[in-house]
Amino acid sequence: MNLHRRVLTLSMLAAVASAPLMVASPALAAGDPIRKIVLATAAQAADPQEYQAAQLIAQEWRKLGLDVEVRGFPRQQLSDYVWFNRQKWDTTMWRMVGRPERSDPDELVFNLFHSSTAEKGFNFVGYTNKEYDAIAEQQRRETDPAKRKAEVAKAQAMVAKDAPYVFLVHPKNTVGYLSSVFKPDTVVDQGGIGIRNFWTFTQAAPAGTVKDIIANSTDPLVSINPLYISGAVDSWVTELIWDRLMRIGPDGLPKPYAAQKVTWADATTLDVELKPNMKWHDGKPVTAEDVVFSFQATMGDKSPMYKPFSSNIASMEVTGPGKVRFKLKEPNASFLTSSIAKINLIPKHVWEPVLAGMAGKPENAESYQEKQPVGSGPFKVARFKLNEEVVLEKNADHFAAPKFDRFILRVIANNEAGLGMLKRGEVNFLSDYRGDPKLLNDMAAQQKDIQVASTVDMGLRFVGHNLRRQPFDDPAFRQALSIAVNRNLMAQAAWNGFAVPASSMISPALPFWHTGTPPKASIDEAKAILKKAGYEVVGGKLSYPTGKKETLQPE
Amino acid sequence: MRSVAIRFGQMLLVLWAVATLLFFLFRLMPGDPTAAYIDTTFTAEQQEALKKQFGLDRSLPEQYALYFGNVLRGEFGTSFRSKRPVFEMIFEVLPNTLALTALSITIAYIFGVLVGAWLAWKRGSIAEAVGIPIVLTLRAAPEFWLGMVLLAIFAFGLGWFPSGGANSAGADYGSTLARMTSADFLHHLILPSMTLALYLQGLPLLLMRSNMLDVLQEDYVMMARMKGLPEWRILLMHAARNALLPVVTAFALGLGASVGGNVVVETVFSWPGLGRVLVDAVASSDYPLAQGAFMFIALILIVMNFVADLLYSVLDPRVAHG
Repeated sequence: MNLHRRVLTLSMLAAVASAPLMVASPALAAGDPIRKIVLATAAQAADPQEYQAAQLIAQEWRKLGLDVEVRGFPRQQLSDYVWFNRQKWDTTMWRMVGRPERSDPDELVFNLFHSSTAEKGFNFVGYTNKEYDAIAEQQRRETDPAKRKAEVAKAQAMVAKDAPYVFLVHPKNTVGYLSSVFKPDTVVDQGGIGIRNFWTFTQAAPAGTVKDIIANSTDPLVSINPLYISGAVDSWVTELIWDRLMRIGPDGLPKPYAAQKVTWADATTLDVELKPNMKWHDGKPVTAEDVVFSFQATMGDKSPMYKPFSSNIASMEVTGPGKVRFKLKEPNASFLTSSIAKINLIPKHVWEPVLAGMAGKPENAESYQEKQPVGSGPFKVARFKLNEEVVLEKNADHFAAPKFDRFILRVIANNEAGLGMLKRGEVNFLSDYRGDPKLLNDMAAQQKDIQVASTVDMGLRFVGHNLRRQPFDDPAFRQALSIAVNRNLMAQAAWNGFAVPASSMISPALPFWHTGTPPKASIDEAKAILKKAGYEVVGGKLSYPTGKKETLQPE
Repeated sequence: MRSVAIRFGQMLLVLWAVATLLFFLFRLMPGDPTAAYIDTTFTAEQQEALKKQFGLDRSLPEQYALYFGNVLRGEFGTSFRSKRPVFEMIFEVLPNTLALTALSITIAYIFGVLVGAWLAWKRGSIAEAVGIPIVLTLRAAPEFWLGMVLLAIFAFGLGWFPSGGANSAGADYGSTLARMTSADFLHHLILPSMTLALYLQGLPLLLMRSNMLDVLQEDYVMMARMKGLPEWRILLMHAARNALLPVVTAFALGLGASVGGNVVVETVFSWPGLGRVLVDAVASSDYPLAQGAFMFIALILIVMNFVADLLYSVLDPRVAHG
């Protein structure tokens, strides 16, 4: 044994010998030191902004004396790690994307935090609070908007206090178009969605001789199917082809569309009357029977992704030509948004034989791609290749016929090339841009007819804590973690200024429902909260309150 | 004839190995394929139903037996994500990929062979000193960079060519053939195939040059010179013919390889081809589609290999008897 190794061994012995001494020291009246915390995030390559934000958060949390490991995963593996294994993870970066039907707060208030969805559903953080449950249920039943608004505000306040999430930012969605093609005052800005929306595509007026809307998508389309929620880009197309009884208006509220009248007879009875003389793209009339069939199609097992949206329907009845009465199982304030304005009207004569042929077989309507889709919407399908291009033509007979002749969606895999295409008019509506928004703004500064619009998204970026695992089961601990995070810095540094700080699950893009202001970041205040709750920093490491043992390990 | 049969048998064996490898490769990949569908509107029951629908709830050997039976029947199943038949999805983009591959590899080989032969002939000259580094640089330059540079100059800058896609927005041709022979399609094809050709030309050029250098040492070339034949005639009729043999093999293999290997060029130019379908399928753990696309590419590659073997024995009788 050489000298060097002997010294090493001796020092190890010394360390072992001093261990009992340390336990006896007065500072360690505190509980065990908190284990290393794993902050899961999408890998840098998968989502550079999220990864950057995670690094910033870990940096702040370390100042509190926590040992934090930032662990990046490819997106799907992250889902595997967090969504399907509800016991093992500590805390994770997560997101909710903006969708028109999310302009009703029910999905965000109820599904995300109600205890009934904690085990398998959307409440993956495992937040259980009876008081909160009662509020969430009440806002769902309450059909008076003002009273419901008060309940939704209570829910937001409670979530802010209990801090199961650290709300980070609502990203801004940045897209561009050519004012030489679209009259700028006819381009509609939809709250929380931006200018790329149904209303722009159907109502914008041409500014010049170009009568084609040419938009882009970075990914290929998955399908064009009214009974399959297959992806965000697909929905831009399907909502133009298939009408809905109501649509979410630019203000975020549902308004009658294919229906001329929608009236509540009582809290569980809804009367709907179709607009007269509507026709399917194949020329046949749209009838009340078609409406009933459309909702029935989603209620069976053949359209699993739409099924949750019609599960509250008890029965439907045709009460006259073009008139349908819905009976609900229980009162539900979001029914208009999440069912009536969500489910596509489909022709019974096309889909009845298709669904009948699938009865008793494992396949469902999602695997049925119509060669020539038939809807009744403002655009009809001319032709499509899902990997290349979808071409829609205007439905001149529609009650709200588009001002443009065609809607063309091109699959442009190269995002930077998308910029060049907008510049040259190969694309005139840059609808899917994932690159640096600054590049787009710079280009707009150079070329006058390029218009850029950034809209605060309905979507949300947050950190979700696993409330099943200590120390995340302690509201004070979570509160401290939340206060430690600097949301302004995050919006600037990680999102390049194209995001606003968040304080609630409901985005400020929905001003009617949104409440709360983001907390001011303060490490001192975070430390004070921890101290008050009994946490102590021992030897630079944050430790549990007295008597509390560390029973878990990083996984 | 016997050697052909043996080669054919070997080909089948390789195909089986590829199919098996693909099966296990995808199942060893981390990440549940159904995780790709996660959404807040998705419940655990739906998740289970989905797994069942795709047979993912069965044991691995069972899945393998099922998979192999299907492969033998040429049945690749339906894509997890789009729920469309895999075959249909592959064949939808195949013409685009073949057009891009065939054009660029033809340009690359014609250019490579001619310039390679010429540079061998000019050994030690300024042409060689300048030419070889240029060739090597183009060969080593990343394809996406080369593609972006061409895009920036000829599309965004000069506006001579479109910036992506396989045809102008909304163009309608009725049939695939009509589309692929249209001026619009060719216009869109030029930049991506130039990029690919610039990348591919290095191999045939250097191969041709080094073969030529060998051949030029041979006695019969000396003989030809002594006969006083013109230089171009010696170059083409005597030397190049013999130097061409390995290039033919490389051509057949390259054709097979670049059918599946165009991912980068296809992405830069938003060219709707097989490579991108493959990448999307892998990214979303779409087993059937990825397996189908990989099998298809492997099949083309192996068949081209077989063709190269046969071709070689026709061009050089020594091989068939060896």
